[in-house]
Amino acid sequence: MARRNMKRLNFINGSLLGRKRVVTEQIHLEETEEQGQSEVDVININMLPETETVCDREEVIRDCQELFDKFAGEAHDLMADFHERYLLWAFSDMLPPQMKALEASQPWIIYWIANSLKVMCPGSLTTDTQRRICQKLLKIAEPDGLFAGGQGQLPNLLCTYASIAALALCDNVDDCWEQIDRKAIYNWLMKLKTPDGGFRTCLEVGECDTRGIYCALAVAQMLQIMTSELCQNVKFFLIRCQTYEGGFGACPQGDEAHGGYTFCAVASLAILNEIPVMNIEQLMEWCSARQYNEEKGLSGRSNKLVDGCYSYWIGATSAILEAHGYGDCINKPQLREYILKCCQSSGRPGLRDKPGKSPDFYHTNYIALGLSITEYSFEAKKGPDALVNSSRILRTPETDLQPINPVFGLPSKDLADIIIFNKDRL
Amino acid sequence: MVEWKFDYSDLDKITENKPETGPGVSEKGELCGIMYDDEYKEIMRVFRGVLSLKEKSERALYATEVAILAVPAFYTAWNYRFDIVKALYGDSGDQLDRELDWLDEFTLANPKNYQIWSYRQAVLKVHPKPIFRRELPILAAMLDEDSKNYHVWSYRRWCVQFFGVLDEELTFADALIVRDVFNNSAWCHRMFVMKELEVDLAQRAASAEIEYAKAKILIAPQNISPWNYLRGIYNGILGSQFDAEIVTFALAFAGDVFDAHGDASPTANAQSSFALEFLAAIYSQNEETAPKAIAAYNALSSKYDPIRKSLWDHKIARLRT
Repeated sequence: MARRNMKRLNFINGSLLGRKRVVTEQIHLEETEEQGQSEVDVININMLPETETVCDREEVIRDCQELFDKFAGEAHDLMADFHERYLLWAFSDMLPPQMKALEASQPWIIYWIANSLKVMCPGSLTTDTQRRICQKLLKIAEPDGLFAGGQGQLPNLLCTYASIAALALCDNVDDCWEQIDRKAIYNWLMKLKTPDGGFRTCLEVGECDTRGIYCALAVAQMLQIMTSELCQNVKFFLIRCQTYEGGFGACPQGDEAHGGYTFCAVASLAILNEIPVMNIEQLMEWCSARQYNEEKGLSGRSNKLVDGCYSYWIGATSAILEAHGYGDCINKPQLREYILKCCQSSGRPGLRDKPGKSPDFYHTNYIALGLSITEYSFEAKKGPDALVNSSRILRTPETDLQPINPVFGLPSKDLADIIIFNKDRL
Repeated sequence: MVEWKFDYSDLDKITENKPETGPGVSEKGELCGIMYDDEYKEIMRVFRGVLSLKEKSERALYATEVAILAVPAFYTAWNYRFDIVKALYGDSGDQLDRELDWLDEFTLANPKNYQIWSYRQAVLKVHPKPIFRRELPILAAMLDEDSKNYHVWSYRRWCVQFFGVLDEELTFADALIVRDVFNNSAWCHRMFVMKELEVDLAQRAASAEIEYAKAKILIAPQNISPWNYLRGIYNGILGSQFDAEIVTFALAFAGDVFDAHGDASPTANAQSSFALEFLAAIYSQNEETAPKAIAAYNALSSKYDPIRKSLWDHKIARLRT
């Protein structure tokens, strides 16, 4: 105990009072002897030199442990009805002024909320709401048929993905899918394409990384406007993003492996039906290393903290590998425990990154998707249009999460519906 | 209300009879409409006015500044700003430097923003005489604040390639590793440097890098970053030829995992699960040592890293077939 208190004191000195200790000392043998007496067998992080990384993580471990202790032995379920209130509120009232920070991401807000509802509380996305979703998004796309962050803004690739995904959730209400201008979107996607196989997020100053590729391919697949010209060189861009650690970085310039960019790269390769071109063993090692014994949740990079949203970014990457027959590289039951005990709180509806953080729509959606992944196993259909089937491995008494497609981030049925609709439009 | 540096009153006439739509306008009953405050509404009204004219002027530039300050992720304003900057400043280095100065200040206040960096790249690409040194202070300041900021590291690599200056990068990464040996972004940057070198240079530098990683492992054996780095150097530069020396080094952190039937003391716990994973990967390379790899995976599965059991089982299954 004395040693732990010492560590706490060091934490207070270092992180709260800003006294940074230069760490050069070596770990001595007598310190490591304590391992034998520790409660868990895994190598205790209290043994490590106290840099920012270690101090931050110790905090999170302590917060999670408190919650694991508090709910020990309890079957802890998703408080779906409680979270539903948070989501429905956003669809019934105007958003508060501080949400203007999302001015350029309006389709994202709609996708996050509508998708969370459909995954967690099917039935609560009413026909009336679906109508309002279509009205708002199709209005943004006027007059040229291209989707943007909001009305009067430049067309944007990431917002186009969010818009099409949100429209996919609307069961073609009022024939809204017919109003998506596929030709305009296709021609614009070709303009965003760069010679090295990337896609810019917008013309002309826009980032070019694996997110853009994913959004372009996911949109093209959902709208069934995929061509070989559109896919030209894309896989080479993606291959160059896989790093020595096994995950993928943003750009092919040696960027650090990162959960979000890895998902985008792997899901893109799944759409291209090119999964085998990457180093799968190393990717599996990297994905698996994202899960920590103490917190049970997933982190987005080596030596970074767990965050609920990676339940999807890494969870879906793992599910895609699983679907293609490479086995499961994350521990679903343990991830479930992190989500249910650490990412929700009866004090405030919505799902959160980690204990101590506030819920938001982004986290609510990706954590709900991640939780759904823990309830299913995945299998890909063969062939160029490979869709992923999920079969239930867990049924919880209180909730009934919808099966999702890990490549597209949508409930499986909604995805299949919009793809079939657009296939027939050809 | 906003204190404008310029007069925009003439814009009102242009927008007078048009229906108000666009940023800063919520329509009645609109789904997820935002309750904009009056100041914001005014900022966006002016912005919509200059944008509708595609005006390229100092006052338009200022309108984009005010809009970007209100919503840093407002990519439409960044794009418009770039058009204005090109039209007003052309290829005047001095004026583009002023734009970079403004950007520095803005960046410090908005560390998580995506748009800043692609905008900065666009400015450097039109700059007649961009200077690498000019980029360094802001990057150092940003990483001092948040040493793993993804965008900043990514932009630094872009700069290194754009300017073709590699000399300072190892020292730079080292300083951040000294500050926090767990900073994986800094380790990753080191690997970037190695990959940028010509093959023969990289091979010559490899042994120094191996010693570097080993020294850092001694500080904290349970640290994934230097172990991944070591594997990266061996696999990426040295053709996966792991030598006896590195095996001996790693074994020092493996406890009694490999001599379970020997006379090691029962308390000889491994000090690093990553050392076990590292050794298992080496031992998996040939059939003779495969049983040792299986022993390591079993130890990881049952004791040192049980949450990753499905991966360890997968590895064992591969070795057995």
